[in-house]
Amino acid sequence: MTTNRPTPGSQTSLREANRARIVDAVKLHGGLTQVELVGATGLSPASVSNIVKELAAQGILNTTQSTRSGRRAQFVTLAHELGLVGGVHIAQRHLRVVVADVAQQVVAEHHLPLAKDHRADAELGRLARMFADMFESLDTDLSEMLAVGVAIEAPIDKRTGLISRPGIMRGWDGVNVSESLGEALNCRVFVDNNCNLGALAEYRRGAARRRGDMIYINASEGIGAGIVLGGKVWRGNHGIAGELGHVTVDEQGPLCRCGKRGCLEMYVGASAIIEPLRSDRRGLKLQDVVSRAVGGEARFVRAIADAGHRIGVATADLCNILDPERVVVSGDLANAGEILLGPLRHTLERSLLVAPENAPEVIQGQLGNRAEVLGAVSYAIDQLSVLTDGAVSDSSQRAHTTHTKAVAS
Amino acid sequence: MPIEDLHVVEEVPLFSLRGVTKNFGAVKALQGVDFDVYAGEVVAVVGDNGAGKTTLVKVLAGDHRATSGEILYQGEPVTIDSPADARELGIATVFQDLALCDNLDVVANLFLGREVGDMALDEVEMEQRAWALLRQLSAKLPTVRTPIASLSGGQRQTVAIARSLVGEPTVVVLDEPTAALGVAQTAEVLNLIERLRESGLGVVLISHNMADVQAVADRVVVLRLGKNNGEFRVPDVSYEQIIAAITGATDNAVSRRAQASTEGRQP
Repeated sequence: MTTNRPTPGSQTSLREANRARIVDAVKLHGGLTQVELVGATGLSPASVSNIVKELAAQGILNTTQSTRSGRRAQFVTLAHELGLVGGVHIAQRHLRVVVADVAQQVVAEHHLPLAKDHRADAELGRLARMFADMFESLDTDLSEMLAVGVAIEAPIDKRTGLISRPGIMRGWDGVNVSESLGEALNCRVFVDNNCNLGALAEYRRGAARRRGDMIYINASEGIGAGIVLGGKVWRGNHGIAGELGHVTVDEQGPLCRCGKRGCLEMYVGASAIIEPLRSDRRGLKLQDVVSRAVGGEARFVRAIADAGHRIGVATADLCNILDPERVVVSGDLANAGEILLGPLRHTLERSLLVAPENAPEVIQGQLGNRAEVLGAVSYAIDQLSVLTDGAVSDSSQRAHTTHTKAVAS
Repeated sequence: MPIEDLHVVEEVPLFSLRGVTKNFGAVKALQGVDFDVYAGEVVAVVGDNGAGKTTLVKVLAGDHRATSGEILYQGEPVTIDSPADARELGIATVFQDLALCDNLDVVANLFLGREVGDMALDEVEMEQRAWALLRQLSAKLPTVRTPIASLSGGQRQTVAIARSLVGEPTVVVLDEPTAALGVAQTAEVLNLIERLRESGLGVVLISHNMADVQAVADRVVVLRLGKNNGEFRVPDVSYEQIIAAITGATDNAVSRRAQASTEGRQP
């Protein structure tokens, strides 16, 4: 991007590389003392000290005096004068938490595998403690938190703040996440469906950048879609828009967790894919299926290809209704790449009304499994800026989801 | 062709215990316990205090010799009489107290007793291998030259697990790896367990924390009063069922089936 880059091999470029090294190390660990930076980067203590001083003067890094093992130390973190924003992705089998500055630069990140059918009370408590831990590692405290965005794998009704269809995430039914987490963290919490936020992230800075209408599909334990129309995430009246996993495939099919019969998820959800592949007493996870398919085992390739075919049929209907420019596929299953996307694309094109050369591009997401959590950060920042612009911040409204529409830049 | 019709190979477990009994004088710590570990899976051993979890681990680690019963390595009978035998067979154990030296740095701890170098220590080689191991675990350690005393609980656990990998084992046994850790550190250790599983190792996880067990384990083996009291696949079992098996609140499918088959055999 910069046109006047220093000549390779010159003193200046070496210096620039060293600066990048230090910033990367601080980013990776959240915060480090100068002594630790010496170890982490392999630079001499003098260079580290000089570069840190320089970067601090430029407002890129922030230094504080602290003590480590009884000695005085300079603790180095990324500068975040404007405050920090949290992003959370609550999936069926894992929790991903990031802390980012208002420029959406992630400064700390954690990932935690979760038990199936996890419950809101236990996990919200854990989440609050995890944020406290992360802020401590950044050498600051929760008072610096401006807002938190939460992506949850269930449709959220904006008006009530609750999951709009009970049963999809059993342990979280009837819990107002934005209220209870807001109380625990003492800041505003904005909750939305994971696919909506994944779509937002891929639209803003991922595979659908500078595109018009797009559909984002996340195929992991369950399957869902997020829809971006005219630059805005389309949520529908009850937040149900894009619930691809609960599109009816066979009205007499097996009973789904949502209470309907024959939903798409009963055919392409993780358990539907894994069950016929299980051969012995060993456990099999969706990631194993994907890695063995990529490794070329025929049964696994076929199982994923079949799933791609079924998702293609459902996506074709969606595309015939919305006529998007791009379809971005993400989630654990999308890690199989063309094994999933090939059959999906093939089936999709067969059932489209538009000519094959005008068919929407079907591509893999660029942000991987971080799309949702990055979308959550963007969402929280959007909501904040809307609030400060409109000057509606009122202490009695703290920790409540507002009815303000999200704006997509 | 439907998936089910394709040829399926039943894999042999890495290690199997068959009818293992361990007595300490009059105390029967284990009575006829069966236990399997496969490659690339996490199997959790749960049970109340005194159920025999630690004894089972110590039999695998070579600390205790089984009074009777069989140990199979890839289907072949073997004997484990000492920790050296266990190491030879590829079983690495991380005990609850971690057994790290607080005053030594990370590299020295990783290679303690297995130092690299002929006459003098090859510090460079050891440091490089230490980084390779820690990278394999995606561990977040700023430097490998700090003494263990200055590390957090999660980082110490990471070092202890990394040390178990120095001997290139096939099975890693973890005794209560998340006890007394904070949330963020627990997250680190659970991710570590997933890393081990992905790299094809068998992981035996002993834990009291059902949330952790259900998050990372593929199978749960329940011990009660020194006997098997159920084996579950995690996707098929609820928290309540595991607790019921631990406390003996119900007789379960496994014991009922075992009973039915022995009754069926006797005329």
